[in-house]
Amino acid sequence: MILDLHNHSIRSDDGRAKVENYCQWIRKREIPIDGFVLTEHRQFDSASDYSALAREHGLTILKGSEVETDYGHVLLFGVSPALLGRFDFGSVRLPLAQVIEQAERHGAVAVPCHPGRTRVGMCAHVAERGPVDGVRIVEIYNGGSRGSEDETARALAERYGYRGTGGSDAHIVSHIGRCATRFPGAIHDEAGLAEALRAGEFEAISWKSKS
Amino acid sequence: MEVEELKKKFLNRDFDERSFEVRQDAMLEFAAACGETAPRFTDPSDPDFRAPPTFCACFHGRRMLPGDFPSLGIPLDAGKCVMPQRPIRAGIPLVGRSHLHDIYEKTGRTGRMIFLVSRMELYDPQQNLVSIVDSRLVIRERPGE
Repeated sequence: MILDLHNHSIRSDDGRAKVENYCQWIRKREIPIDGFVLTEHRQFDSASDYSALAREHGLTILKGSEVETDYGHVLLFGVSPALLGRFDFGSVRLPLAQVIEQAERHGAVAVPCHPGRTRVGMCAHVAERGPVDGVRIVEIYNGGSRGSEDETARALAERYGYRGTGGSDAHIVSHIGRCATRFPGAIHDEAGLAEALRAGEFEAISWKSKS
Repeated sequence: MEVEELKKKFLNRDFDERSFEVRQDAMLEFAAACGETAPRFTDPSDPDFRAPPTFCACFHGRRMLPGDFPSLGIPLDAGKCVMPQRPIRAGIPLVGRSHLHDIYEKTGRTGRMIFLVSRMELYDPQQNLVSIVDSRLVIRERPGE
């Protein structure tokens, strides 16, 4: 199963894509993904229900979050109501160590995203202050990466033995499906995604050169 | 100043009020600029003649921020959002009242940014809310802060 793990809808302040339009685009352009995850900025979108859209288009639509930490931006998968109460998702100064610890304690998985990006990626912070315990996975393919940002991310993963995911970081419809992550089995819900990530059997994919 | 402090001090406090005239020629000009073709936007003889939904984005208050708002840097336009509530008809005077609706921060490639959402609510003479216009400003954190 292939899921695009990093996307934003109009629920994010800078997102310009409706979820329905993502679905239509995937089907019309025959993008080879089975679904996608909405990782809205600095929040978890508890209110939206995309199950009808998912059924209509035959796609898996899951929800996560992208929070902002002292080591850059971090994707959270498997967010539960219990985790939501553990820290302020809206803060831009969350300690990464605390985010990882709380995520693990509540069945979620934290994945630093676009680590090669200036200021909001993990690499520069690691170079300055050293690695953070508990990081096991980082995003090595990001659809919004510029220049050598993905190469920098892959070098970080290689150096510290992190597993790598892929996600488009789409904010507009046509950017979905630029990067994704392949899993060996089917994933039906957020808890299943967190479990699959913890199992560590996945592979990051990038189609950026083709788009 | 921390964002939480700014929110406590400035959110949801009216800081400006201004009257606006809805001129037919301005409505037609705006409709043409938007490429509207529906008669309700382009033909004053249409029984449902009205301004295009985003027309109110043209209205500006006397100020974008409260007079006592601290100087955090040079604000740049970060977009507008219009939420129409009722049709806007020619010749109906409107009153726009402004307040800060939201203040939040985010981090990006260029560093930390503070976003200010200035909301203008437009009312007709019967005090019906006809439109809500959010104007977003972004201020980049000064290096070293």
